[in-house]
Amino acid sequence: MARVDLQNVTKDWGTAVAVDDISLDLKDGEFVAVLGPSGCGKSTTLFMLAGIYAPSSGDIRFDGARVNDVEARDRNVGIVFQSYALYPNMTVLQNILFPLRFQKVPRTDAEREAREIARLVQIENLLDRRPGQLSGGQQQRVALARALVKKPNLLLLDEPLSNLDATLRLSMRAEIRRIQRELGVTTILVTHDQIEATTMADRIICMNAGRVEQIGTPTDLYRAPETTFVAAFIGSPPINLIDARLAGDTLEIGDKRLRATGAGTEHGGPVKLGLRPEHIREAATGLAATITASEPMGRETLYTADTPIGSLHFLEATSMPRLAPGAKLSLTFDGADSLVFDAATTRLMHGVCAHV
Amino acid sequence: MPSSASARQASNALIFLGPAILLLFALLVVPIVVDLVVAFTDMAQTVTIGEFTTRQFDKLVRPSKDAWFGFELRGSFYRALSLTAIYVFCTLTIFNITFGLILALTTTALSDRLGAFFRAVWLLPRMSPSVVYGLLWIWVVDPTERGLLNQVLINVFGMEPINMMLDHPMVLIVMANGFIGASIGMLILTSAIRSIPKHLFHAARADGAGPMAITWHIVLPALRWPLSYITVFQTLSLLVSFEYIFLIMGASRSTMTMAMLAYTKTLAPDIGSGQYAYGAAITLILIVIGMATAMFMWRMSNMKALLAKPKIEVQ
Repeated sequence: MARVDLQNVTKDWGTAVAVDDISLDLKDGEFVAVLGPSGCGKSTTLFMLAGIYAPSSGDIRFDGARVNDVEARDRNVGIVFQSYALYPNMTVLQNILFPLRFQKVPRTDAEREAREIARLVQIENLLDRRPGQLSGGQQQRVALARALVKKPNLLLLDEPLSNLDATLRLSMRAEIRRIQRELGVTTILVTHDQIEATTMADRIICMNAGRVEQIGTPTDLYRAPETTFVAAFIGSPPINLIDARLAGDTLEIGDKRLRATGAGTEHGGPVKLGLRPEHIREAATGLAATITASEPMGRETLYTADTPIGSLHFLEATSMPRLAPGAKLSLTFDGADSLVFDAATTRLMHGVCAHV
Repeated sequence: MPSSASARQASNALIFLGPAILLLFALLVVPIVVDLVVAFTDMAQTVTIGEFTTRQFDKLVRPSKDAWFGFELRGSFYRALSLTAIYVFCTLTIFNITFGLILALTTTALSDRLGAFFRAVWLLPRMSPSVVYGLLWIWVVDPTERGLLNQVLINVFGMEPINMMLDHPMVLIVMANGFIGASIGMLILTSAIRSIPKHLFHAARADGAGPMAITWHIVLPALRWPLSYITVFQTLSLLVSFEYIFLIMGASRSTMTMAMLAYTKTLAPDIGSGQYAYGAAITLILIVIGMATAMFMWRMSNMKALLAKPKIEVQ
């Protein structure tokens, strides 16, 4: 169990910069998700923590001690890989015992510990099988057991659920969270799946193009995304981002004018207005809208509508589509739910709200 | 119509398999049959068959009441058999497998460019013409003070010059064949090591394994099948190989393996050649030995299971 610190860590291969000057700080026992699209440098960050890649510059510290030059095998880090990376020539028990072999644990103790951890991840009845004879979900549990058996300082999960089917993913999500709480091990989960990140993690580190966009709790990232990237990445269906122009207390969108409030509105200029589909609703008065498409999503229906501020997606909590394309209605939203971003820096203008 | 469909299927099968079957028949079945027939004749320099006889085999074995199967091996044949066994076993185990494995392990551990350079160096003998390669060995082991080996022995170690061809002929042919043979093992094993998923190495490193443990627990288990393949394939090709032996040693009694003996008695440009029936008889025995060895190794290495469909799902 450890505190983990990254200070100005950069990783490049020649001219290609995979991770660009990131700093973060993990508390002991915390569960953090690194979220971002593929190629954003999240796996590279994970491999640097594991000691598989060395950072080009910057410091990595475990419990305050610099570990940049510490070999992977001496870091006591457990990893679960996306492909599970089980040793195909060994049985499940041998796979779990493998890390203990190098910690010089006496055979009987090692076997007891392995069986204990196997019970924790519920694979006691599979110990004599080989990885090839296991299903994806079982392999994933074995990989977890192998990562946990040596009581690691840090548990790293590299897209561990992406090869599982939807139902299994749901149960493994809760399962991993339960095991992590039970052991209290500091854990970093790398994922491109925002649901995985928001449901499992205490905090989320949202990355894009090698840089950290925002660090915060799942609620922070949803309620107050620091950048348009985070706003667009978190939330499903994705947020509506509308090009606009802030001029004093009005927000100009084409010919339409909305009222703007809050400190900072005096700095006018191009902005982006962010409106989440779930925050837009029908009202007696508001933006005149014409439905162009309706998509039943099960519990909800996603509509697309033409409005004076552009095409908008909005959600309605009805399983049966109520409005057909061509239907006319008025749409509104609460000013407190609206997000206004500086178009030049893509950063959130805190406190600035738009009103219909 | 079903009949035309099945006719079409048959003609498709013929088109696809025909050339391969024809090639297999012409290059494998026909020569074996010809060899089988000639072995039981008296064919010699004139290349005519006078009579059918088992006389050729009498030159190799003689009836004996005490021996197994009632036959005893004649001296030259016994000698050829033991030299073949030594030659095949030593070249295979020391060079083709062990040295090939060491080369594969070390060159994959180096940086890509350096590894490729060393592999290219080890491929050079295979790329150069056999005659040139043979000649280079003759120069290296030249018994006078001009030979490369003797220069090294004299100038570096201050030793007496040695005559490899006379004193250690088997060591010489094992080395000459081994330096070439190692490259095949090296290539196959290198590609096998390269095909081990990277994340297995990453996982092993994170699990605390050092380079030795990774080699033992991750790399070697993955090389089981290519190693079995190299063993079977190289055993068979060494059994019948004679070109470097002939180029370096000529028709010398000290390195007269089975394949060399068959060649010397038939096509070699020396006195005593042209005994086609005799050569065919030796070759026939070599074919039987090769088949028995292949089948034995097939069983031993459980190659059938290795060739079977993998149980692991490919992701």
